[in-house]
Amino acid sequence: MIGVIILGTLMALIVIAFVAVIEPKLPDAIILSMGIGLGAVVLFVLFQAPDVALTEAVIGTGIGSLIYLMALKHLGERQ
Amino acid sequence: MNIKRDISTNAISSFALSALFVLTLLSILLQHIPQKLSSAGDKLLEINAQEGVANAVTTVVVYFRGFDTLGEIAVLFIASFGIGLMLNFQVQNNQNKVKSNFMLQLGARLLFPIILLFGVYVMTYGHLSVGGGFQGGVIIASAVLLMLVSSNHFQLSHRIITLLETFAGVSYVLIGLIGLIVLDSFLGNFLPHSASQLGLLLSGGIVPIIYIIIGIKVGSEMSLIVQNMLQRSDND
Repeated sequence: MIGVIILGTLMALIVIAFVAVIEPKLPDAIILSMGIGLGAVVLFVLFQAPDVALTEAVIGTGIGSLIYLMALKHLGERQ
Repeated sequence: MNIKRDISTNAISSFALSALFVLTLLSILLQHIPQKLSSAGDKLLEINAQEGVANAVTTVVVYFRGFDTLGEIAVLFIASFGIGLMLNFQVQNNQNKVKSNFMLQLGARLLFPIILLFGVYVMTYGHLSVGGGFQGGVIIASAVLLMLVSSNHFQLSHRIITLLETFAGVSYVLIGLIGLIVLDSFLGNFLPHSASQLGLLLSGGIVPIIYIIIGIKVGSEMSLIVQNMLQRSDND
């Protein structure tokens, strides 16, 4: 059962990562990368690494992506 | 349309290249699987039982690899310093900021103390349960980020942040030097730490103290990074 969840999460992660790379709108790509962080949290919890999962949940899906968004807003007019 | 097609062909070719790379690495790695896995982990767990710290990850991060953690904190400090130097030249003005929604303001004010309390809990109980200084500090920074986004008047005092950061960095190095003097090893555990106290709040000697110091430093630096990025973005 856990193996099925792990395999499904991995497949979903690969699909989300591929879509995030080919996405032409940069804000949508950043939000998709937030989704990658969320899948990684599930994988870390399933592999019994809750410390890493906590860090990934806050940095990967929260602060890191928001810093990307702020940098994008800052650079937006120069593109 | 032309740009879009270019992006997608680039993406497909880079995806295929990276897949080939990963397959090659896997085929090399699969030929060299050792017979007995995780012998180093078993040794670490054996030594960890003598230290009186319930969370083995904390022992590795703070005690066995304490010097590396000092280096990581220095890297974070340099990143915060660089962002402040690059973005903070212009005069800040919050006049043209869009006023945020009433529900967002109220919800943020309601959630702020709860997130702050959770961050302090994760930081303080890092040697007993899941979490630690890094995680707690980043959770505190996310609470500050919520307040900065929602409220127009919330502002971190630079003097307090600088004081906290300086205090944390200096006391980390001082504790390491005291260990060097008392036990002849940098960051030596000079406070009492017996395995009989395993699971108590005051156990593990200097490990919880150092993790709280790391939490203060990470929290203040990440909050400063977030505030600098947000205020500089407002000027555009």
